[in-house]
Amino acid sequence: MKINLDEIFDYTSFNIDRDPHIILEENVCQQCDQRACVNCCPAACYTWDEDNKKMTFVHDGCLECGTCYVVCKNEAFSRWRYPRGGFGVAFRMT
Amino acid sequence: MTVFDAIVVGAGPAGSSAALTMAKAGLKVALLERGSFPGEKNMFGGVLHRLTALEDVLPNFWDIAPLERHIVKKTLTFMTEGSSFSVNFDNQAANQPPYNGYTIFRPTFDRWLADQAVQAGATLLSSSTVDEVLREGGRIVGVRLLRDNAELRAPIVIAADGVLSFVARKAGLRQGRFNPDHQGVCIKALIDMPKDVIDDRFGLTRREGASNEIVGNTGGVRGGTFLYTNYNSLSLGMVLELGSLMKTDWTPYHLLNNLMEQPQIAKLLRGGRLLEYSAHLVPKGGYQMQPELFSDGIMVTGDAAALCIVTGLNLEGINLAAQSGVIAGKTAIVAHQQRDFSKGCLSNYKKQLEDSFVLKDLKLYRRTPDMLHNDRIYQQYPELVCGMMDEIYRIDGRPKAKMSQMILRQVKEKIGLKNMLADVYGGWRSL
Ligand SMILES: Cc1cc2nc3c(=O)[nH]c(=O)nc-3n(C[C@H](O)[C@H](O)[C@H](O)COP(=O)(O)OP(=O)(O)OC[C@H]3O[C@@H](n4cnc5c(N)ncnc54)[C@H](O)[C@@H]3O)c2cc1C
Ligand code: SF4
Ligand code: SF4
Repeated sequence: MKINLDEIFDYTSFNIDRDPHIILEENVCQQCDQRACVNCCPAACYTWDEDNKKMTFVHDGCLECGTCYVVCKNEAFSRWRYPRGGFGVAFRMT
Repeated sequence: MTVFDAIVVGAGPAGSSAALTMAKAGLKVALLERGSFPGEKNMFGGVLHRLTALEDVLPNFWDIAPLERHIVKKTLTFMTEGSSFSVNFDNQAANQPPYNGYTIFRPTFDRWLADQAVQAGATLLSSSTVDEVLREGGRIVGVRLLRDNAELRAPIVIAADGVLSFVARKAGLRQGRFNPDHQGVCIKALIDMPKDVIDDRFGLTRREGASNEIVGNTGGVRGGTFLYTNYNSLSLGMVLELGSLMKTDWTPYHLLNNLMEQPQIAKLLRGGRLLEYSAHLVPKGGYQMQPELFSDGIMVTGDAAALCIVTGLNLEGINLAAQSGVIAGKTAIVAHQQRDFSKGCLSNYKKQLEDSFVLKDLKLYRRTPDMLHNDRIYQQYPELVCGMMDEIYRIDGRPKAKMSQMILRQVKEKIGLKNMLADVYGGWRSL
């Protein structure tokens, strides 16, 4: 058994909001010397492309844990809030 | 615009306990929850400890609440990549009501608890994310929702919105960034397994349950692993301190995947199937990260107030959340009787928390986060314990060393004598 985040939508349910609840100012990330969000996010929402020096953030599989909000020391978010009521991750058992 | 006697933000254990307490006393209560039902956004390990706070209002709690198993067996394990050493406490006294703890599922349990508040007369508004607090002359007088910018007013707002508590922050009760050393990220795999297989593997019958806390094998990251039995599934998860995790390249799921392959764990999980993957933060800093607990028209409860105790042996949160919710509810009832919603009147909330186990225990364990900040606990000590056991039991045709010399050598090799003495002293003080 293994957790494979490529298959996260098979075992965790989401009602994805097209209006994102987190908006990342990706240009801030280019100056960042830490990028703790990349390894700390439990849903792999942050990907850093070293060759092109580019950060990609996707909110689709976000588990709304708050880790990125806590570890980012540069306050790179122009929006960080919980999704609108009824949207986002939906735990069924857990 | 609707006017209530009290608004509770968040229908977790803290919020529902507060709403239940106030509704029973006849107050007009709004219970706001961002999930499409209470519990939809919530996960934990987890073991629900005995809820003394609610035994007055729900005397037959264990007969009516949706519980998985009650815990009779507690195990602490020190683990390395290939070996583990466990201490086991099997307690018959925990096998009869009032049980000491239960495994539960939050989407089921939280929904049930919120329903108790609704039956007592509270108004539950689900799918309602609070976005802002309303102020008038410096006091908090209500909240605004993300949906249609709807406004709700009440002379008292209770922030029960969990670990990040944007409500406490927006009300000015928490300032500055969170310290990553004070927060742990938790990930959990819920694993499907037939009840009889669980019973056989863990030595249980009927509704008996087991909990296992594991130290070590977290890639040197400060943190720990838990393995709990539900009725017909297992909860396997890790709590990792963010301040420590962010200094490494590890991801939480790589660490958990490695652990699932550890031979002793793999045997327990064999044949299991992943049902759900979830994550949440835990305010492990406890007393050291507490916001202001009250101000004019507002009180902060549960995780929002960092009322959480993480010792490595145990994780207490829901019991503290429920107790703080009940006390906040009672304070609100008195405030309504006196028609006084000022800071002065609401300071009773903090006083009563200080007189209860909530702040007493939190203070008692205030140094534990410093003790747990010691990196040696998570790698060197598990290696020391397992290394000693290996030498004691190993038969390889060579003469054995004298036990005391062997222990001294192992300590010198793996920890260092000075470090060991400092750790024993620090550990003792923190307890
Ligand atoms: C992995 C893990 C293991 C744990 N293990 C244990 C354990 O074994 N035993 C134990 O007792 N405790 C444990 N805890 C701690 C426990 O889960 C918490 O202490 C407890 O849930 C706190 O309750 P609460 O009501 O304060 O907050 P929460 O349970 O977080 O509830 C907050 C509620 O507010 C809602 N909300 C948040 N923001 C808004 C908003 N803006 N508008 C509307 N609604 C909002 C959320 O959706 C949620 O329903 C664990 C925690 C974790 C993460
Ligand atoms: S830590 Fe913050 S600034 Fe740095 S890469 Fe991540 S989000 Fe960007
Ligand atoms: S909230 Fe958690 S899951 Fe969502 S992007 Fe941030 S770290 Fe990842």
